[in-house]
Amino acid sequence: MNPNIAELVQGVQGLVTLPDVFIRINQLVESPDSSMNDIAAAVARDPSFTVRLLRVANSPFYGFSSSIDTVPKAVSVIGTSQVRNLALSTAIASSFAGLPNSLVSMENFWRHSLYCALAARLLARQAHKCDAEAVFTAGLLHDIGELVIFNRLPERAKEALQLVLDDAEGLTVHQAERQVLGFDHAQVGGELARQWKLPSLLEECIGCHHNPGEATRHPREAAIVHIANALAVMAELDTLAHEDVSPIDPLAWEAIGLQGDDVIESTVHEVQAEIAEAEKLFLGK
Amino acid sequence: MALSPTSRPPLALPGFEHIKRGWNDTYEAFSARLMPGEYYVTLHDEGVYTTLGSCISACIRDRVRGIGGMNHFMLPASGGKDGWKSSGLSAATRYGNFAMEHLINDILKNGGKRENLEVKLFGGGRIIANMTDVGMRNIAFAHDYIETEGLQVTAEDVGDVFPRMVVYFPKTGRVRVKRLRSLHNNTIAEQEIRYLTTIEDKPVSGDIELF
Repeated sequence: MNPNIAELVQGVQGLVTLPDVFIRINQLVESPDSSMNDIAAAVARDPSFTVRLLRVANSPFYGFSSSIDTVPKAVSVIGTSQVRNLALSTAIASSFAGLPNSLVSMENFWRHSLYCALAARLLARQAHKCDAEAVFTAGLLHDIGELVIFNRLPERAKEALQLVLDDAEGLTVHQAERQVLGFDHAQVGGELARQWKLPSLLEECIGCHHNPGEATRHPREAAIVHIANALAVMAELDTLAHEDVSPIDPLAWEAIGLQGDDVIESTVHEVQAEIAEAEKLFLGK
Repeated sequence: MALSPTSRPPLALPGFEHIKRGWNDTYEAFSARLMPGEYYVTLHDEGVYTTLGSCISACIRDRVRGIGGMNHFMLPASGGKDGWKSSGLSAATRYGNFAMEHLINDILKNGGKRENLEVKLFGGGRIIANMTDVGMRNIAFAHDYIETEGLQVTAEDVGDVFPRMVVYFPKTGRVRVKRLRSLHNNTIAEQEIRYLTTIEDKPVSGDIELF
């Protein structure tokens, strides 16, 4: 681990905090001694999260057949680890408000993240044997390292972005960051997830989203987030041209057992169809 | 971008020596990097590229002789200190005319023929959500100008909400437009606003060298 990365992440610990409700739920989900009732009680202690959880659980986004009107019902239908994902997903955009920057608007930043989350969920469903809701959360969080870099090292981050714009040959942002800073936003985000003790799946998906081959514990999920990131940019730019987005590692396709332009095209189109509804639910628009 | 160790860029035409050029591996050619307000004309098989937010680039060449180039401009929001309500609109248009004429005149001066000119048009994106649509105004100007001058647009990719990178080869007319993700919007917008400030401070008249 590059010592600069750990230091950088420690520097934002006081500025961006995970919501208490997530931290409590996370501890309970990890603990073998806790029950579903304990988790439901932790949720119910936070009225605003309770409202959001029920709203998301009842949205067409999840498509549960019966209406979910109480917290214990939500926890038993949705599952405890999914409640944890939702706690993180619904709070993440507001918890990063403490890291403002002038390089990207929060709106554009989270829209890309949400595109990636939606694409990751769709890919996971097609790939099977992948936790679709966990990679959704991973997609939402994949670029959080960028917010840390933009907030803490604005001048050098700007230099890296300028390098990308001055290069006609497709230099990517993470390559430019490595040139200027010696590390990239994926590594920073992975370290933030580690210091926050997020589930290892999230840590690896965030940390390896540009180098999915480096994932050791969750290689399939990391591959999905890597591919979803490229498809998210395609959806944002309304293009299917591979040259418009950062290259997808062919080994990532192999890792999830999917391939081909058909998957890309159908996923991009579906994500474009889902984005408006998802923005309302997760970004409070 | 690293210079190719074995070769030097082709000789720049007089007046374009200051434009930054570098070797481009992908295209196996030298290419010139245009900033807002600049333009570049070449006789050689080299590229010209730029990044556009709400600005416009006209790529113009003599399709028979392979002489051509690119500009990069926008209309000032006001016609100088008077504000654009009064004499502003014409002053703004005058600035656009300058940008187009500089490019066309240099192509003609270097052997291009007016009847052989073809135009490709890019940019004019709306990259800042809650700003007035300056991109649209730039596109409208460019369309007007081209129609008035009786020129032909053979390709265009204008408007919409994203920035673009355009790479153009005047010799062959080949062009590559890459849409850029919104992560780059602020950096590009800031560059264009800085450029806008410089043109609004400088009224267009007579022989003033704008570029």
